[in-house]
Amino acid sequence: MMSCKEVLESISSYLDEELKEEIAVEMHKHIGKCSDCRAEFDTLTMTIKLYKHSETPQMPAECHDRLVKTLEIEKMRAKQGGGEPDTNPTGV
Amino acid sequence: MAQDLKALPDETLVLRAQEDDDRAFGELIGRYETKVYSLAMKMLRNPEDAEDVLQETFLRAYRGLKSFRGNSTFSTWIYRITANSALMKLRKKQLPTVSIEDADEREVPLNIADWAPGPVEQLLTLETQQAMSDAIEALPAEFRQVFVLRDLEGHSNADVAEILDLSVAAVKSRLHRARLKVRNHLTRFFNDTRGQKAMGARS
Repeated sequence: MMSCKEVLESISSYLDEELKEEIAVEMHKHIGKCSDCRAEFDTLTMTIKLYKHSETPQMPAECHDRLVKTLEIEKMRAKQGGGEPDTNPTGV
Repeated sequence: MAQDLKALPDETLVLRAQEDDDRAFGELIGRYETKVYSLAMKMLRNPEDAEDVLQETFLRAYRGLKSFRGNSTFSTWIYRITANSALMKLRKKQLPTVSIEDADEREVPLNIADWAPGPVEQLLTLETQQAMSDAIEALPAEFRQVFVLRDLEGHSNADVAEILDLSVAAVKSRLHRARLKVRNHLTRFFNDTRGQKAMGARS
């Protein structure tokens, strides 16, 4: 029988469908008998459902226009010899 | 002509943009701007900051395009720039958090109230959405990066690992902890609101 600690560590992997089937079965057996772990499992599952159902912020159309304008200014600067090429744009 | 560009894969557009074809870069912007904005917005939760990151990301990509060698895909590269720009911004704003590593670590289940039974729609009120937003805002920056990319934007663990230059194991561990932190925040929220309702019913 899985311990509570093992169940707690496995919930995320289970929800991501990355748990081996036999371990998932063991986990369900444990949850069927342990109300604390069941609450852990239910609430974490519902948390993920809730934020996946939440609204996605949309990009306002003006953002695109302002971005294009910024890049046009940058191109002009580059053509006039200003602006250094970025050799490490990801900043890593 | 614009139709032609739409049919081209990212790699070809990148090669063209590297040879100063601005229309090719414009097409790459069209493909990724809403995704970049969405990622930035979910990490920073503020439209002005998200737009700053959007602008900074494409400026850096434009300036750094010639150094892009195709070791990763363009999408991974652009998300990496976005995630790092957003992280820098977050770090400037966020107060240092205490003991993020162990705050929610424990080996036994807490005796928490099971607030989950019932349909999602019933729980998903405006107040719950606000509580969730607060919970995400309270996540330490490094956890938030993983959480947003993986759970809100739907990238795979392997993709998130590549974007953030982490191991898959580190991604999984941060994700699990971030989820617990959000859940714990929601648990407190539901306990409080239900407590208040019960008090209201009694008085």
